[in-house]
Amino acid sequence: MTGGSLQLTGLTRVHHAGQPPALDDFSLDVPAGSCVAVLGPSGSGKSTVLRLTAGLDEPTAGTVRVDGVDLAGVVPERRGMAMVFQRPLLFPHLTVRDNVAFADRVRGVPRKVARQRAEDFLELVQLGGYGGRPVRALSGGQEQRVALARALAAEPRVLLLDEAFSALDAALREEMHQLLADLRMRLDPTILLVTHDHAEADALADTVAVLDAGRLRQQGQMRSLYARPASLVVSRLLGGRTEVRGVVRDGRHESPLGALDLPEQVPDGPAVLVVRHEAVRVTGSADPAADVVGTVVRARRRGLRALVTVEVVGAGGEATVEAELEPGSDAPTGRPVGLRLPVEARWVVPVEGAAGEPARPPAGASGMRRDRSG
Amino acid sequence: MSAAPAVPAASRVGRGLLGLWLVLPVVPLLLWAFADRWSFPALLPQEWGVRGLTEAAASGAGAALLRSTLLGAVVAVLATPLGAMAGRALASRQVPGSTAVLAVLMSPLVLPPFAVALGLDVLLLRLRVPAVLGVVVLLVVAALPYTTITMRAAYAAHDRGFEEEARLLGASRWRTVRSVQLPLLAPALAGAAFLAFLVGWSDYVVTLLIGGGRLTTLPLVLASAASATGNDSQVAVLSLTSVLPPVALLAVVTLLGRRGRR
Repeated sequence: MTGGSLQLTGLTRVHHAGQPPALDDFSLDVPAGSCVAVLGPSGSGKSTVLRLTAGLDEPTAGTVRVDGVDLAGVVPERRGMAMVFQRPLLFPHLTVRDNVAFADRVRGVPRKVARQRAEDFLELVQLGGYGGRPVRALSGGQEQRVALARALAAEPRVLLLDEAFSALDAALREEMHQLLADLRMRLDPTILLVTHDHAEADALADTVAVLDAGRLRQQGQMRSLYARPASLVVSRLLGGRTEVRGVVRDGRHESPLGALDLPEQVPDGPAVLVVRHEAVRVTGSADPAADVVGTVVRARRRGLRALVTVEVVGAGGEATVEAELEPGSDAPTGRPVGLRLPVEARWVVPVEGAAGEPARPPAGASGMRRDRSG
Repeated sequence: MSAAPAVPAASRVGRGLLGLWLVLPVVPLLLWAFADRWSFPALLPQEWGVRGLTEAAASGAGAALLRSTLLGAVVAVLATPLGAMAGRALASRQVPGSTAVLAVLMSPLVLPPFAVALGLDVLLLRLRVPAVLGVVVLLVVAALPYTTITMRAAYAAHDRGFEEEARLLGASRWRTVRSVQLPLLAPALAGAAFLAFLVGWSDYVVTLLIGGGRLTTLPLVLASAASATGNDSQVAVLSLTSVLPPVALLAVVTLLGRRGRR
């Protein structure tokens, strides 16, 4: 089975007249055989994208095309889509096997053939031999595997995954990611998935579309989104932690961190510097190669690597930078450290429209500083 | 230590008492049904026999039983889908003024059936509605509160995601109803149908007033037998005849529901 190509053009959905649209002029290309993720916080309209694609809701405007054919007015059962929801939604009155055979059965495939094919798909999700069980006898991870097998058995031209793995614990989610990668190699389906988890989007998708408040904010490969977010919203959604307000002048960002060179030419004006905490290197405070020197105000353990918040006092105020330490190394609160911010890891985004937004650091951190100086 | 075994013991005693409470009234009925002579102060009938049975059969109990069953079934067949539709609409919260709609649907519960039947009798006569049809219509309305409430609760707990999933897997709207919605709601539908059946099966007032004696159901035969004296065994047989079928039906519905849940 090979998936079809999906094109969403100008999709808009207004749930209730008079309210702001849940989805506003959303366009996305999903080439055949690719996996595209729509990444957004809850309420961003990402599930609406899938519901409009699947035909469960009607778009207020815009088109859904599969292999170039406009699906306007086509009922969900004739669209050649299958969806896996966050809830497994296995039919409780059917066995595992008959759940997977459901699509074949409603298509008129004889029971025996449908069940045989169901066993094959169960094998594919590593649940061979589970066919005769009632769905109540399955664990959460197994349920989601069966739901995936059931969707694949429908041989959809586009497979839709609506936060399909979000309810699973971390280890199971990892397993499902592996399984999906495996299935992509074998079956080459076209997948459109939505998630709120940038790590999941990174693990599964070829390209990512970031959605916030119903609007497409940025689109591209995850690598480039991590390194070059288009806005603060995107940076935060992707787990960016460091935001330093300042002004760009002559290609350098001026802030309490000092004047820092930028990897690309950007227009002058107020801008927020963002740096991935993974890219920052923490060194000694006497390190001549350090771009800035500051004090550790907070340290959090995350397995072998610790995450530290470093406060830097410079011209015109103070700023905080988050950094991930080398595995096994340690930086207790209060220690002065040097930070290297590689030029290619620096990036500036426009200052958010909301001017009243409180600037970082939070109140707690400044309290700590006063204690130390007193 | 002693509290743990005490709980199942208490539960067993409670269940025993409940069973006794339900079965005890049937015991004298059973005794009376086969008593040809049982006069005070004897503890048990002095003469056993089947005179009650023959008398009951002679009073037309067989045909009345059939008519009652048919009436109950017709009421169930009409009131269950209507209640299901109303329940689904009310549970979806898409009905404007759903509280008012619900209040109207519930009104047969609070209005005295005697007053309603007496008032509507005149109207139905004027409209020249056939008596039997009038009985059926009124009983369906009387059964609607039960079916609507049951189905509203069922639809409120029902996840429409199941239906969306079925549609996406290729099932048409009707196929989704048949293959997914009905099986998932079967226990609730059976419960609603049972309640509606009981409304038709056990009705006396509406059948008497609207039916005008043209529809002789089991409650009517029973009431006329009970209003006379000296035929206690016949009354006992008729009472058992009207109690046992619903009990048997309830057992079937419960068993089906349990199997569906497994």
